Amino acid sequence: MNKPVKIRTTNLCFSYYNHPVLQDVTLQFFENSLTAIVGPSGVGKSTFLMTLNRLWEEIPGARMKGRIEIKFNGSFHDIYARSYSLPQLRRAVGMVFQVPNPLPMSIFKNIALPLKLAGIRDRSLISYKVEQALKRAYLWEEVKDRLTDSALKLSGGQQQRLCIARALILEPEVLLVDEPTSSLDGKAASVIEELLLSLREHCTILAVSHYWDQVKRIADVVVELSNSHHQSNIYHHQKPQPV
Amino acid sequence: MINIPEKAAEKLFLLPTVISIAITIGIFGFMLLLGLPLIIRGGHFLNLLAQSWAPGSGLYGIYPMIVGSLSIASLSLVFAFPLSLGCSVLISVVGHEVFGRFLRGVVQLMTGIPTVIYGFVGVFLLVPRIREIFQRGSGMCILSASLMLAVLISPTMILFFTDSFDHVPKSYGQAAEALGASKGQKFLYVTLPCAWRGVLTGLILAGGRALGDTLIALMLAGNAIQIPGSVLDSARTLTSHIALVFAADYESLEFKSIFACGMSLYLLATLLVLGARGLWHRNEGEK
Repeated sequence: MNKPVKIRTTNLCFSYYNHPVLQDVTLQFFENSLTAIVGPSGVGKSTFLMTLNRLWEEIPGARMKGRIEIKFNGSFHDIYARSYSLPQLRRAVGMVFQVPNPLPMSIFKNIALPLKLAGIRDRSLISYKVEQALKRAYLWEEVKDRLTDSALKLSGGQQQRLCIARALILEPEVLLVDEPTSSLDGKAASVIEELLLSLREHCTILAVSHYWDQVKRIADVVVELSNSHHQSNIYHHQKPQPV
Repeated sequence: MINIPEKAAEKLFLLPTVISIAITIGIFGFMLLLGLPLIIRGGHFLNLLAQSWAPGSGLYGIYPMIVGSLSIASLSLVFAFPLSLGCSVLISVVGHEVFGRFLRGVVQLMTGIPTVIYGFVGVFLLVPRIREIFQRGSGMCILSASLMLAVLISPTMILFFTDSFDHVPKSYGQAAEALGASKGQKFLYVTLPCAWRGVLTGLILAGGRALGDTLIALMLAGNAIQIPGSVLDSARTLTSHIALVFAADYESLEFKSIFACGMSLYLLATLLVLGARGLWHRNEGEK
């Protein structure tokens, strides 16, 4: 692949209560591409995603070794360096979870929350950005007349797109997506797939997926994790470019 | 098959429900009945609430005691609320897990300490300090009673608050974290808005406890029958009044007045609960 590298992990090891999950994972991910991470259950796919925005740190018994660097503003930064700001990292590396997790507040407030957390107070700017994010997540037309309704009233597929919009509003450079369609029906899933493909232009996407047909449809690169004899094996599949 | 035991269980549980409702209503009726002579003599019940206390001139109004009760209870809530909120945040949000468990244990232990112990501590440690600091009166005043009462009611609040914080779904917190929320932001924007019902419930129960507590006010507030002008004035609560009159007298109209006190307490507590329920349901509509 001739795109520049965005993320690189070096000798990444991860364990829960001394039970190894990831062993010696050294990988690279490329800018503006969608990498699918596949593999059997329990192999550490979701854990791997969480190492990239440090979300595992609150989990009791979790330990990590190794190095993760992400390129921001043209140079690689060790995201676990003491000087590196955690909120800043989380704003640059968005995440969408397996089960949609809208917060119990209105649609508008859900999307605007990251801006609020980042200290943005300008109301007209917030409204503008919320609209942009909802449009990018293909949700605007469905919710524009009921932005003050509770986000919990939306359907599963809409909730997931809401969560994507919420992750997009800060314009992250990396988007981590953990089985985004596993709790949705086929139609809602294909909307999400199309959405992810359109987002590739602006960010580096890492998506965990269980479905091979989905992976074939959307992935530029496939990374397969497998776990044998407490060893993480990595297989790279380069998707042939369509002629 | 399942239906018969289910019906039987329903009947079985209906019995204690009916009994507890009957007791609640019965107590109110009992107080009304025994306070009746005073209510008839003193005119309307409302007059009794607004009149001052001067048994010599045939006035048995309990207004000073109502003011005393309300001011001590509300001031203790003012002291206890920030303390409890801070403590519960430390236990279930920011504190280290082991320290949180330890602190929770201490708080649980506090709920079991008899009120009279707090009263003693207040008399020997708090009252002299208050007297020295403010150089006014005996130190037996609204301030002393509310400070000690705040210590008494805090554990109730803390346990309710921590419980409601712990019940906020983990996925909400994780969502906020993934969006770049700091611990403080996560608490302010996610945990607190989700847990406000528990916070409200704790506040009301603690308020009820402060209103209903007798010993602390009896031992620390000075018990003068007057409308207090400042927090350093002595005051008598409805509950202390009942205890003091009850201990001295059995037949007079003065004695009957304590039933009016009982009724007022009852009504205040009911109003508190109804107000809270109103707030609860109004906000439910918004959701």
